[in-house]
Amino acid sequence: MKTNNQTLSNIDSLVDYHKLVQPTAIEIKNVTVSFKAKKSTFTAVQNISLDIKKGEIVALIGHSGCGKSTLMNTISGMVGPSEGSVIVNGNTITGPGPDRGIVFQNYSLLPWMNVYKNIFEAVDSVFKDKTKAEKISIVEESLRLVNLYEHKDKLPAQLSGGMKQRVAIARAFAINPSVLLLDEPFGALDALTKGAMHIELLKLWNLDNRNKTIVMVTHDIDEAIFLADRVVVMNNGPAASIKEIVNVDLPRPRNKKDIVHDPQYIKVHDQLMNLLFDKFSIED
Amino acid sequence: MITIKKNLSHILYFVASMLILIFLWGMVSIVTKYEIPSPLATWKVFLEMMADPFYDNGPNDKGIGIQLFSSLKRVFSGFLLGSLFAIPIGMLMGASPTGMKLLNPLVQILRPVSPLAWFPLGLLAFKAADGATIFIIAITSLWPTLINTAFGVASIPQDHKNVGKAFGFSKAKYIKNILLPFALPHIITGLRLSIGVAWMVIVAGEMLSGGVGIGFFVWDSWNGLSLEKILNAILIIGFVGLLLDKGFNYLQNKFNYENK
Repeated sequence: MKTNNQTLSNIDSLVDYHKLVQPTAIEIKNVTVSFKAKKSTFTAVQNISLDIKKGEIVALIGHSGCGKSTLMNTISGMVGPSEGSVIVNGNTITGPGPDRGIVFQNYSLLPWMNVYKNIFEAVDSVFKDKTKAEKISIVEESLRLVNLYEHKDKLPAQLSGGMKQRVAIARAFAINPSVLLLDEPFGALDALTKGAMHIELLKLWNLDNRNKTIVMVTHDIDEAIFLADRVVVMNNGPAASIKEIVNVDLPRPRNKKDIVHDPQYIKVHDQLMNLLFDKFSIED
Repeated sequence: MITIKKNLSHILYFVASMLILIFLWGMVSIVTKYEIPSPLATWKVFLEMMADPFYDNGPNDKGIGIQLFSSLKRVFSGFLLGSLFAIPIGMLMGASPTGMKLLNPLVQILRPVSPLAWFPLGLLAFKAADGATIFIIAITSLWPTLINTAFGVASIPQDHKNVGKAFGFSKAKYIKNILLPFALPHIITGLRLSIGVAWMVIVAGEMLSGGVGIGFFVWDSWNGLSLEKILNAILIIGFVGLLLDKGFNYLQNKFNYENK
């Protein structure tokens, strides 16, 4: 255990050094997204610019309807910006692509396919040049990583919420994207499952030498601090913009139990609370 | 154990339902002074008909079995022909808003047309009564399948479509893994309604076309003034219709992923 921790902290300092020299993975440049309604146009997010480095974990946080999902969807390519552009690894985004893995809010597993097939179809679609045997081993490996290999023949309806989300995460990791986009991934899970999933996610991220850039949308301040390097706080919509970007300078690997006593954690937590809430009790 | 109990109660309710039918029928028979034959008299004729259902004494005198099978053959030919058009066109309408706007008025205009109105066109096109009968079955039974297919394809949830987009599914992969599995239960519901319509149309069609078939049999029995035969034919048509419906009901359950 001790040596394990030591190696991890060695990797840590290495990665921290790396981060200084890491290239920019995602460049959001003056992005505005407007939707045409019947009579008027509704602007969800306005003039947002944000650079995210390779291997960074960034959490987008804000109140419901503030456009954080919309902003993330411009990175995934599901939503095209009305103005500005999003550049991922040097390529301007024009639509969804396998270089960006998406974990949807409601898991989005296909209900008529078992767990194995759900992942296999994604792998089969993305790695067109690989042989069938290679694809199978990728699927099996990703199932083992999230400890779901024994459940591979089950249909999504037979799984618990946490298991479904692990399948969705396994599917996103299986196609080995350089960017991982998570849209309120743990919003529907109970607190205990959520905590386990955070560690699961970081484990997968570590296994890949923290090379994947992760952008996640969340409502949960604790989740944001535990996972992210930076927390992007958004204004309330419509026409939302970035209110503030809070750095989370907590060393990795982070320990769920200990972290809450860390003065830095408490400071960041307070800062985020102040940014997100106007009132803290009925007396205020 | 529970399923056996359930099945048994199903059977008992069915028997009770039949007893109500026989009772009402018997009353009508008594009230009309047996102008409408009694269930018992009809049963006797049924036994006679069933003694040799496949006899064949030339063009206008064939057993009920032969009549029934030639009707079923026509119904399935028409039904399959109709479905062959209905499913792809329905998919097109469901998948493309332009296709929907373009074809929907056409569907709405042609759908309510009576099968009998199509018959002359069928005769003109096929120069034969048999072809015309199949034609009117096809053209009147395809609408429920077409509309249900279009509805099924149009109502694919955005979540499922997003999976296809996010993982770059090809058109073929999307159709095979998302469109078809989602739309299939709707398509089968459509087919179930369509086979019902096809079976309804057959009697009218065969009354016009003559020859062999259950519809012709009804008309021929009327000409021969055998009301018992007509009543038997009505019951046979009803029971076969029920069986067809049950068959598609079975398929519906089998292909509904939600029941798995």
